[in-house]
Amino acid sequence: MSSEPPKPSRLESILMRLGTAGALLAMLGRGSRPWMLPLVLVLLVIGAGMVFLQSVQYVAPFIYMVF
Amino acid sequence: MPQVTLGVSALYHDAAAALMIDGQVIAAAQEERFSRLKHDPSLPVRAAQWCLDEAGLSAQDIDQLIFYEKPLRKFERILSTSIATFPRSALSFPRQMKAWLGDKLWTRNRLVEAFGVRPERVGFSDHHRSHAASAFYSGPFERAAVLVADGVGEWATTSLWRGGPAGLEPLGEVRWPHSLGLLYSAMTAFLGFAVNEGEYKVMGMAAWGTPRYREALDRVGRLLPDGGFALDLDHFSHHWHPTRAYTDRLVALLGPPRPPGAPFALLDPSASAAARAESQRHADLAASVQSWLEDALLHVIRHAHQRSGEANLCLAGGVALNAVANHRLALEGPFAQLFVQPAAGDAGGALGAAQWASFGVAGRPWSPSRFRPDLGPSLDEGRVADLVADLGFPCEALPHEDALLDRAAQDLLSGQVLGWVQGRAELGPRALGHRSILADPRGPDTALRVNTRVKLREPFRPFAPSIAEEQAALVQLPPAAAALGPYMTVACPASDRLREAAPAVVHVNGSTRPQLVSAADDPRYHGLLRRMGEATGLSALLNTSFNLKGEPLVGSATDALATLARCELDAVYIGPLRVGRPPARVLGG
Amino acid sequence: MGALRRAWIGLTGQFAWRLRPAHMLRSFSRTEQGSALDMFAAVESTDRRDIRKKYFRHALDEWRHAGIFRERAREVAGPDAVESGREEAGMLVEHGIVGGRTLFERLGERDFLAFVFVAEADAVEQFGVYARHGLLDAGTEAALERILKDELFHVSYSKHELDRLSEAEGAAAARGAVRRIRWSRFKEGYLRLSRDIGHGMSSLWLLALYGLVLPPFRLFARLEAPGWQAPPTEARSAADALMSEA
Repeated sequence: MSSEPPKPSRLESILMRLGTAGALLAMLGRGSRPWMLPLVLVLLVIGAGMVFLQSVQYVAPFIYMVF
Repeated sequence: MPQVTLGVSALYHDAAAALMIDGQVIAAAQEERFSRLKHDPSLPVRAAQWCLDEAGLSAQDIDQLIFYEKPLRKFERILSTSIATFPRSALSFPRQMKAWLGDKLWTRNRLVEAFGVRPERVGFSDHHRSHAASAFYSGPFERAAVLVADGVGEWATTSLWRGGPAGLEPLGEVRWPHSLGLLYSAMTAFLGFAVNEGEYKVMGMAAWGTPRYREALDRVGRLLPDGGFALDLDHFSHHWHPTRAYTDRLVALLGPPRPPGAPFALLDPSASAAARAESQRHADLAASVQSWLEDALLHVIRHAHQRSGEANLCLAGGVALNAVANHRLALEGPFAQLFVQPAAGDAGGALGAAQWASFGVAGRPWSPSRFRPDLGPSLDEGRVADLVADLGFPCEALPHEDALLDRAAQDLLSGQVLGWVQGRAELGPRALGHRSILADPRGPDTALRVNTRVKLREPFRPFAPSIAEEQAALVQLPPAAAALGPYMTVACPASDRLREAAPAVVHVNGSTRPQLVSAADDPRYHGLLRRMGEATGLSALLNTSFNLKGEPLVGSATDALATLARCELDAVYIGPLRVGRPPARVLGG
Repeated sequence: MGALRRAWIGLTGQFAWRLRPAHMLRSFSRTEQGSALDMFAAVESTDRRDIRKKYFRHALDEWRHAGIFRERAREVAGPDAVESGREEAGMLVEHGIVGGRTLFERLGERDFLAFVFVAEADAVEQFGVYARHGLLDAGTEAALERILKDELFHVSYSKHELDRLSEAEGAAAARGAVRRIRWSRFKEGYLRLSRDIGHGMSSLWLLALYGLVLPPFRLFARLEAPGWQAPPTEARSAADALMSEA
């Protein structure tokens, strides 16, 4: 948009992401691939880490150095 | 309160936005026309903003923002395929997961942040449902079977629907990794063209060859008795390799792939016999995959006819843009009438997502109509005049319709190649007389001239004609393809008269991909065609998209003038202005 | 700072031009193509009608330079190494429109001019370092010479226009804009590095996960069967299904 759209608050963003994660797990649970659930849980943890590092991109290289 | 629905397609290729108010399509545009990045996949923020501006609305007025597919189901498909193809998917897994876990999985967040709408107003259609809706709800039939065929959506690669007053009923689907579109794309890559971009080139090249590899292709893509098909996955790697779509087994079967950019020697009299033979092999490969696709689609639509019990068929998805195949479906298929709207690819998904939400879910009344693809931005004439003056282009204002059309026809008859920017831009890849390059199709060297001086594209690709509706007999459109006439979505045999009089728009095999223009749909463009008819007896023009190779169709006036400055177009008509070639001092260099 | 930058360009250039000359040329081509997009967008956006022609000509120069670099990359790489247009488009996403706005719209006219001035001056310096260190083959050097002439014009006109635009507020306003742009380019460079490290590290993590965690799941996973399948059953209402991402 040519002017910045109103941004959701940090809390709203986190709630939306939790909602998405919940919808993903629920979809797998009721579908034909419930065996993917443990793997998806691990991936969601990694995804949360990636999203966190994107939000602190100025210090991200130092965090990477720790790992 | 009017119900405002914004459809959005993005994050794969051809991002677009489409705005509907109370079931009326108000505006639709592709992001590439604003960003100038061909097939731009990024969220169509600019296109959406334009749509809202056009309606005098802001983001706060959007009642529903509907994304064209379901990201979580797509993620499920990608992850489970990575697991099923372990360990061959080692290269693609990190790449895919990075893109998904860091970005695409959170599409709802991205939509809310980019478009400024409340999270509870964001919805998600299905990829194939969006395509099906864009075909059925844009079409001329009360009831119809709807077939969607593309690379892949969430899971479906081909799907069948029944459209009617009750909405769209899913009847069945063929699932990933078995895909008509991906087989064709694999062969596009095999022939050295970019996937999602070069499929038209394969279709154009096919006319130069004979399908002598059909038997080999029948082994890698089998037609099944249930009306479906199966790929022999040993020959393809689209489901596990990040960039390569075929395996060494396909190379062993068909011979070495064509290197990207290899010259097409069949049109070069000075080429060696070996080079000609190699180009002939490439053309034969293209002819073979084209022939395979046509037979596969015929097989599939026979099943669709039987399963749906409908008389008419709407087609959508990238495969539906194969105009040559559409001719065979019309000629040999079981359906009485076919309809393919010109934005059948992912850009049309934005339109379909909005249409599904409006008609399929909200239950707004809908009736068949004639689809108009000119849903995009138009240019402000005052601003264009200022820009032209500021940049120092010679310009002539022709405010009277007759004077404008007479002058344009005169230019064309004197052999000039013109840019033609009139009214609202088209949605989809086809230039249909709104963002077009036009030339008199009668000269024997017109095609070569447009190609080498303006379009700079592969010499084996054909040009298409626009023809005034009253001279429809210039082409042999099958009765079942009558509804495709206005959209350039079907190729058909040219009449003897067109072949003799206008070789520039007839392909090497005698086919042509016409746009039939009516006075009711487009009075100005029809007027120009009529003037050409009065002068030559042939109400036809060569019509190709107004862009340079690798660029999207022109969007702004600056784009049009920049294109004029960078190639050998003779003039551009923007609304009532005739803009001539700029003097050297403007061009610099 | 300038000497440090030149030393860095010389050092990295030694490796880059020896190991991946075609890649270097292609990346220059994309940068020039991206600049052309930014300049064409500025032609549309500026309210100062007297500067439009300069932006337009600048854009045409950049577009021509992109072609020169692309052509040279092809010559250097040989006929079998043509990059697909799609990959090129993918590398251009930082130009054109970012977050719904063009570079001109994001920066405003003064900072945009400062950006053009700084970017062009940096490019002139960079090409100068390559020439002084003798890193370029004769063909590439000749191509760069043609381009440098235009770049010098871009440096001088953007500086002139920046000063002209800042006349009312004094020279400090122009210097402030240049400082802001230098700082933001430094930050962007750092963030790019941060992202590259992030990409590398997350690739390693995910590859490790792939090798260690995925194998047992392989026992359950099957590709879908070919042929027609029944459509997925949907227990939700159409309205509920529409509002769900799954």
